[in-house]
Amino acid sequence: MRKSLLWITILIISISLVAVFSLASCKAEEVAEEEEVAEEEEVAEEEEVAEEEFTMLFVPGIADPFYFTMEKGIQAKADELNINLIVSEYPESWGPEAQVPILEAAAAVGGIDLILTAPTSTDALIAPLKKLYDQGITIITVDTYLGDGDYSVESDYSFPLSYIGTDNKLGGQEVARHLAEMLDETGNVYVMNTNPDTSSVVDRGEGFTEGIAEFPNMTLIGMDYCLDVQQEAQNLTTAALQKDPDIVGIFGVNLFSAQGAYQAVVNAGLTGAVKIASWDATQDLINALKEGKVDLVLAQKPAEIGALGVEWGYKYLKNGEEVPKKVIPGFEFFTADNVDDPDMQQFIYSK
Amino acid sequence: MNTNKNSTLGASQISSKRLSILAKNWALFFLLILILIFSFTGKRFFHLANFQNILHLSTTYLLLSASETFVIITGGIDLSVGFVMGLSSVLAATMMQQMHAVNFPPALSISIGSIVTLIICIIPGLLSGILITRYKVPPFIATLGMGGITSGLTLIMCGGFPVTFLPPYLTEMGNGYMIYILPGKAVSFFNRPEGIVGGELKELVRIIPFSFIFIFIVLIILWHILKNTKFGQHTYAIGGNMDAAVRAGINTNRHLIIIYVLSSFLAGLAGVFNVFQTGVGNFTPFTAMYELLAIAGVIIGGASLMGGKGGIFGSVIGVILIGVIENGLHLSGVDPFYRFIAVGLVLITAVVIDQSFPDLL
Repeated sequence: MRKSLLWITILIISISLVAVFSLASCKAEEVAEEEEVAEEEEVAEEEEVAEEEFTMLFVPGIADPFYFTMEKGIQAKADELNINLIVSEYPESWGPEAQVPILEAAAAVGGIDLILTAPTSTDALIAPLKKLYDQGITIITVDTYLGDGDYSVESDYSFPLSYIGTDNKLGGQEVARHLAEMLDETGNVYVMNTNPDTSSVVDRGEGFTEGIAEFPNMTLIGMDYCLDVQQEAQNLTTAALQKDPDIVGIFGVNLFSAQGAYQAVVNAGLTGAVKIASWDATQDLINALKEGKVDLVLAQKPAEIGALGVEWGYKYLKNGEEVPKKVIPGFEFFTADNVDDPDMQQFIYSK
Repeated sequence: MNTNKNSTLGASQISSKRLSILAKNWALFFLLILILIFSFTGKRFFHLANFQNILHLSTTYLLLSASETFVIITGGIDLSVGFVMGLSSVLAATMMQQMHAVNFPPALSISIGSIVTLIICIIPGLLSGILITRYKVPPFIATLGMGGITSGLTLIMCGGFPVTFLPPYLTEMGNGYMIYILPGKAVSFFNRPEGIVGGELKELVRIIPFSFIFIFIVLIILWHILKNTKFGQHTYAIGGNMDAAVRAGINTNRHLIIIYVLSSFLAGLAGVFNVFQTGVGNFTPFTAMYELLAIAGVIIGGASLMGGKGGIFGSVIGVILIGVIENGLHLSGVDPFYRFIAVGLVLITAVVIDQSFPDLL
């Protein structure tokens, strides 16, 4: 009895300690935010002296090289057009619970004409962005979109000025075309996909399927899902190569699937005989390309996406020009031949 | 028994004995039947290279299943093995990468990385064991929690990306073969015959992967421990009846801690092997379900989640059965989503059969 009382007391004390600490840290954060806001205001005031016409705010989706690269593109364009740019804090994780508070804190500064943001949820970001839109701020979504991404039809999420980003399906088709070119447009190909429940990679797979269908001498012999586990990618590709040893090309939709496929190809003694294509010019995949593990890498153009966002936004704010509801910049392709090319280095995602 | 029915009894005894052999080794029979079926349906299924692939790629699962076998026989469960494997893989790869970056000789960095990792990887098991024995935390919770902690530490270490730029020769060791034969031209041991050009590479016959020898030695040692030593007998005794084991004077707490340490160590071994096999340090994503498939293999192999039953040989058959089903369905051209269904059905059937003949076992 006495023992259990002791335990209950300890429990209560520890719970209250946790509560106190979390409250304290909350307060500390608030203070920090207020300070930040104050600093930003100062910055804004200073820059107003330089007679900048517009203020734009960039709220990225997550702290990763893709958005760091996008910020660079935005910054460069903003400097060129003499726009005052505010970049919010980078969310540590992907999701509205991390992004919405950052968005609201950053927008609270006031005086913002346009927000460039990558909504981390197709529904949860509609209401917070609508609120800002109703205050007279123009919204452009970059890389990701609200609803189904079609702002040309009237709906409760059609208020953003434009969506500027990549079309995964189109990218899949482009990968198929470039891979076909490397393979002289003949032979069997195979797709190592990751998750059957993630729209981006599903679209890449579908696009690739459509792209390969354009070549009469090429057949897509299968698509498997490795669930982002490299070992599983290796197992599945090994089985696929056992079944069809004449596979000449594999599209791994991301780093994990491409590397697993590569190791299976090496183990089957087919190095060089099978070309591997992959997606996103992250440093890891560029290194894999340099090591000869991957033969073709599709690079999205985050910097260009950002720059286009600033440019179209500027045209709209300045002259009221009509802006397309959807802007899809192209892709770049890395191969062993051009990976060291100085002109291509700008397309590698970097910090 | 009634004397009038002597003759019928004799016959039924014989048939029940036959049935008993069948029931005891049903997984083995089932495996043979599947191999037979897939040989007809699967394109290039009945092929030396394919069987070698299945076993070679099952190596990590065999290690994880062996570790689960010990734990499950004691009546426990270890849900952390998949994540300990991820920790081990990332830790070993990170150490090798760092040493390789400052120009350590590859042999030295590979062996130091592997050995230090194996030592560190017994810590999660030690902690789980202490929680389970001293603080009476159910094994399910203790190891689930430990798995989460391990996974978090792993992700902090690698930042969610595989660890690359490892010393050379790793994948050559992990995926190499004992004998290489180029039909009618050359035979060589340990290394590919030199001067092979592209087209000939496809004809090269490879026999006995290094991973066979490695896993064979490990499994023989574990089989011996479980079958022929006092340690093994105590393991069965604890799972069969904890109270009886305590009364018989077995130090059950100490024994259980050793079991979980062993389990963790084998998971660490699987992680180090994973580095050799894939050439990069892989963290374990939550979708991997390594531990669940390893447990499934153990149960198909005749163990009971209640404890006291099971063995290394059975678990090996169980793991290979899962490997053959996945591979066979793949080569038979079954679409991935149907494969998920088929594997699930076979797992359930397996345990239903097992439960239908409890008296015969």
